[in-house]
Amino acid sequence: MSDVQLSSSALERTAARRTFPLHARTGACRSLFGPVDHDELAREMKSKLREISERDRRRWNFDFDTDTPLRGQFEWEEASVDAVPVFYRDSVQRGKARIPVAALPRGSRDCSGREAGALSRVSSPEATGARSAELNRENRAEQLNSGKPQRRALVCIPRKRASTGDLSSSRISDYFGKKKRTSETKQGTSPVPVPLEQTPRKRIR
Amino acid sequence: MAQDCGRQYERVAEIGGGAYGTVYKARDRQSGQFVALKSVRVQTDQDGLPLSTVREVALLRRLEQFDHPNVVKLMDVCATLRTDQETKVTLVFEHVDQDLKTYLNKAPAPGLPPERIRDLMHQLLHGLEFLHSHCVLHRDLKPENILVTSRGQVKLADFGLARIYSCHMALTPVVVTLWYRSPEVLLQASYATPVDIWSTGCIFAEMFRRKPLFCGDSEVDQLRKIFDVIGLPPEEEWPADVTLSRSIFIPVSPRPITKCVPEISQLGADLLKEMLTFDPLRRISALNALSHPYFQEG
Repeated sequence: MSDVQLSSSALERTAARRTFPLHARTGACRSLFGPVDHDELAREMKSKLREISERDRRRWNFDFDTDTPLRGQFEWEEASVDAVPVFYRDSVQRGKARIPVAALPRGSRDCSGREAGALSRVSSPEATGARSAELNRENRAEQLNSGKPQRRALVCIPRKRASTGDLSSSRISDYFGKKKRTSETKQGTSPVPVPLEQTPRKRIR
Repeated sequence: MAQDCGRQYERVAEIGGGAYGTVYKARDRQSGQFVALKSVRVQTDQDGLPLSTVREVALLRRLEQFDHPNVVKLMDVCATLRTDQETKVTLVFEHVDQDLKTYLNKAPAPGLPPERIRDLMHQLLHGLEFLHSHCVLHRDLKPENILVTSRGQVKLADFGLARIYSCHMALTPVVVTLWYRSPEVLLQASYATPVDIWSTGCIFAEMFRRKPLFCGDSEVDQLRKIFDVIGLPPEEEWPADVTLSRSIFIPVSPRPITKCVPEISQLGADLLKEMLTFDPLRRISALNALSHPYFQEG
């Protein structure tokens, strides 16, 4: 009997090891629904995403992937940015900073190479580490206005987090009350963290 | 200093020679309405799109359900995965072909008629009141992100995910955005909805003047220009815990606002003064501004 228990718990652990990311692999991890087939999950996600993209594409008769207008209800045209309000310009968001895209001709299919080059710089490993950098134009403006020397022709994204009191974050959702974490952890008698992949369900008394 | 910059900053994009490419817009053959695309490239990691971005999109969509006449319409949000590190979020907006800046520039010689200004202001405050009542701050109100339709309808744009940070402006010696910035923001004190009212006040004055009211070229210069008009606030109104000391400013007494905006009516000047009040707690709210006698006059 005890043998069975042991092996089942060992099985659970193995499943947990496969299921949960490293940081979540604690003794408290239990796989209640068996191991997750990540490949299958990824495939399902991809097909769902394709489905959504296809729906968007049909709704607007526009290929958002390649920026290509298609035939349909909407009559697309390319307008020079100078002819439309500044607001419609494209931008890049990294962390909480957002910068507009500069000088890259849109719609050209082969632009991916150049863009990818520019972007891989943005998302280099160290950049990902600094993803919480939430500085933007305001802070750059400070740099500009404080008379410090600066290189032209470069957009600099400060990596340090700004003090929380300033204007640097651009999210409107920042102003909403933070949602409390699920109260389930508090309700239960044991302080076992609820694994992310577990289906939330009510406790049966 | 250069070393400092190297550590603290990294190069993300190079700025071309002033060309910014193109924007896609389309006409709906059925309704005759125009839409325009604005894409925001969001950097992602192994967890995918940052949760905050997802939340923000959800919020923009929730606001959209109210279909407010003075907020630019967001018709759809389409996400496409570009690379592992980047997702392109394309926002489909209604297309409005001019912003308030162009609108003011195009106004013939004596400027906008007073009734037109009153109507624009009423719509602007109406949109702002809507955002504020939903706990949304705009924080960057300026003529460039207030759209004006060919029928003269005002639509607020560029809050939340749709906000852009123009590197063009950041690299120009004069940073336009400072001009509409409230004293509490310039002083880096805590701030809330009154910041948008301050900007609205600056824009109100600009509608008459057809040029910006306070054109500072640094935070301190901006504050100096503000105090030249509204006067140096008393010591007790100066926010606590700010780095800038009140003593660095020359004590000046307030000038009548009509000196800067001679075309404004008495009631208009009264509303403007209420908007350009130093103390954010005493500054008029969007809701109260809408019932100001200025909007009943004429």
